[in-house]
Amino acid sequence: MEKIRIINLAKRYGQVVAADAVTFSVGDKEFFSLLGPSGCGKSTVLRCVAGLEEPSEGEIYIGETHVNSIADRINVPTEFRPIGMVFQNYAVWPHMTVHDNIAYPLKLKKLPKEVIETKLKDALHTVGLERLADRYPSQLSGGEQQRVALARALIKEPEVLLLDEPLSNLDAKLREQMRFELKDLQRRTGIPILYVTHDQTEALAMSDRLAVMNAGRIVQVGTPADIYTHPADRFVADFIGLMNFVPARILSRNGEKATVEFFGTHRLNVLDHSGLSGECVVAVRPEDISLSPAGPIRCRVEVSSYSGHLIDYKVRANGAVLRVQTPKTAIYKEGAELGLTIERALLFAARESERAVAKDKVHR
Amino acid sequence: MTASSFDRRYLLMAAAGVFVLLIVVYPLWQVLFRSFLDAGVLSLKSYQKVFSYPSYYRALLNSVWISCATAAMCMVLGTLMAFLVVRTDLPGKKTLRTLLVLPYALPSFFAAIAWIQLLGPQGYLARLFLQVFGFATVPWNIYSAGGIVFVLTVHYFILVFITVAGALERMDASLEEAARASGASTYQIMRQITLPLVLPAIMAGGLLAFIGALANFGIPALLGMRARFFVLTTSIYYALAIPDFGLATALSSMLVLVALVSMAFQFGIQKGESRFTVISGKAVHPSELKLRAVRYPLFLLTSFFVIFMSILPILSMVLTAVMRYWGAPITAANLTLQNFNYVLRFEAAQRAVMNSLFLGAVAATVAMFVGTVISYLHVKAKLRGTRVLDFLATIPYAVPHTVIAIAMILAWARPPVSLYGTLWIILVAYLAVYLPFAVRTTNSTLQQVHDSLEEAAKASGARLFPRLRDIILPLARPGMIAGWILVFMPALRELTVSILLYAYHTETIGVVVYNLQDAGYREIAAALASIVMGLLILGNMIIRRLTGGVAGF
Repeated sequence: MEKIRIINLAKRYGQVVAADAVTFSVGDKEFFSLLGPSGCGKSTVLRCVAGLEEPSEGEIYIGETHVNSIADRINVPTEFRPIGMVFQNYAVWPHMTVHDNIAYPLKLKKLPKEVIETKLKDALHTVGLERLADRYPSQLSGGEQQRVALARALIKEPEVLLLDEPLSNLDAKLREQMRFELKDLQRRTGIPILYVTHDQTEALAMSDRLAVMNAGRIVQVGTPADIYTHPADRFVADFIGLMNFVPARILSRNGEKATVEFFGTHRLNVLDHSGLSGECVVAVRPEDISLSPAGPIRCRVEVSSYSGHLIDYKVRANGAVLRVQTPKTAIYKEGAELGLTIERALLFAARESERAVAKDKVHR
Repeated sequence: MTASSFDRRYLLMAAAGVFVLLIVVYPLWQVLFRSFLDAGVLSLKSYQKVFSYPSYYRALLNSVWISCATAAMCMVLGTLMAFLVVRTDLPGKKTLRTLLVLPYALPSFFAAIAWIQLLGPQGYLARLFLQVFGFATVPWNIYSAGGIVFVLTVHYFILVFITVAGALERMDASLEEAARASGASTYQIMRQITLPLVLPAIMAGGLLAFIGALANFGIPALLGMRARFFVLTTSIYYALAIPDFGLATALSSMLVLVALVSMAFQFGIQKGESRFTVISGKAVHPSELKLRAVRYPLFLLTSFFVIFMSILPILSMVLTAVMRYWGAPITAANLTLQNFNYVLRFEAAQRAVMNSLFLGAVAATVAMFVGTVISYLHVKAKLRGTRVLDFLATIPYAVPHTVIAIAMILAWARPPVSLYGTLWIILVAYLAVYLPFAVRTTNSTLQQVHDSLEEAAKASGARLFPRLRDIILPLARPGMIAGWILVFMPALRELTVSILLYAYHTETIGVVVYNLQDAGYREIAAALASIVMGLLILGNMIIRRLTGGVAGF
């Protein structure tokens, strides 16, 4: 059962297109993220779902309810949508105590006092704020305010929970902790979540599925593993995780097997569905490169940095600088002359500027 | 769904729109329209009249030159004092500053009354002067154009002082330090670096003083009319007494035109000033100029000046209030409390106090309420057309109060809705006068309330009225209270609007003080004025305490 369904959503401000042709759906109990750089339109989409912005085109369903339709002139106001929402700055009302903040949605429903108090107790327990009920927001830390906002969003038992970069104002340690708490909370309550973030680690770690957005459009929808290992295009490849790009040329192709040439004379066989030919770029994850004294492509270690669970290198090969991450089995010193092996690579179309460089290199 | 999908904010907008139309747009339109009307047909006859009778076009010229002279004097005085108080090591600067601002807390016609007491024939200073120098008569006349410019300057120079002092405080000290490092002397730095940098502020302050002087009624009325010296505001008063509505509206339209032109200038300067990146909001403290040998002489001079400008008028008012009669020798035998006794039992004064309290409280409450609605629609809801609403509500800011009073007579003193002679017409005029202040205060208050606080209420399921009641209004409350007092206090002492609109039984405090003074009961006028003065100074202290010194007069 789909809990949120967005069909062909577009939002324009005058000439500026904030979102265009956005289509996706969020399933029951699903944690779904919208990921992209700032200004890509992800918050606009979320705000359309919340009813805080009116779409220029498209349809939105929340559960069974048709909340937006241009054709039927439907735009259900936010206050009538079955949503809970947490804002980037928490938006905890400073003139109300923690108790009153969280109880507010129930008071609006004019529930009996006892019912409100029972539900409130549960909510405070869920987010671990029992002891702070009578405090004012100014007496709370950022993390605690965050929990108040979360409890307030959940208490009216909405069909979906909308989260707009809720962790971006927290410090690194707390962010990490809240990430697990959020995920855990969702498991326990089973509430579908639509989550907006620009932080790819956050999105990969928490989501069941995510949509990567760029310039107002969805570029790819999939599970974190899908998107990491099979980025749909060069933008996604670059945005998610680390990626090395090397200009190359496709020499020959046999179905899905392509042979590319790069760094002058080096050749590599790549599994590729794109059907590209001619100039292209080879994209390689740092962990898909291995270093050994005998590797086929000569390189020199420029920077070697120890980061606990792995070693992070910058190596120079044929004039290009590549990021390489290896397990801690062998540690090479800066300045070491080595060879590298590319174990897995993807092909993407080259950009205009890179074509010139590639040609230049090939002809030299 | 049909009921809930109707956006109630449009209901609110329609209500606010109707309010602004009735209170602001329709009355002001009447002024403009009637100025082109003669016996029911469109004509320029009223304007012809203005330009063919010397007494009328001279009023226009008088207004312009009096305001120019006032502005020039204010710029010199205000800039000088600002330099001394902000940029030198003068002792007791904080106290000086507080005292300098004091006269502005009192209505300008109080200043006129006090300066008549001091400098008029038989005035305290006039008699002192004659005694000391042995002249037969004093070489000045307070009932003259010069007297008007003098009192206007004393009242309005503070506007230049405040803008220039602000600019001097915000100026980056490193600009002067760079000049010093280049070998410039202190005098050269002041002339070549500092003065050019604060010039926009001086100009802006000067224009504020110009607009203030142009719109002022009390001072030229008390000092000029007796000498048959008229400016636009007093001519309009005169034309209404005839009554000649065509003339009054033509003069009003010209007054508004001059005010609008100077305001456009002021707006231009503000825009230009923002290009001066050197005057930033940075909290760098500019260096203080060491006065060395002239420090104490200058301190004495400044103190004398401040006592002369700020303390003397107040003392004079209180002294007159406790004298048997003004002009009597100041001896213990001539002191009395009978004036206060009389005022407290004087029926018109009692009525006036009640009327002013009622008008001030109701005007402040309604203006703040409507102001909050308009600000909410403009700043938060951002509905289409709210910008126009906001603009219309701030129009009266540019309109001299004399003109607003006439507008109310034209709009609301004729059947079918004749409010003339009631408190309601004064109330409506007060609402028009103070609505811009209310909207500006609530605008800045609501701008500080983050949008997401309201959005969170929406997401919690709160409809428009619960949202306003539970979230917006409580968060805006501190600003609304400050704004309420900022409307209530000036309304309490208002003269210009009420003198044109009052009738028997609807006098305000300002009207009673003015009429007592005009009829020659100077001691009783002074007694009532002293009581009001005490209340205003007290109220001003409360506001400054409440707003942390940000607001106040």
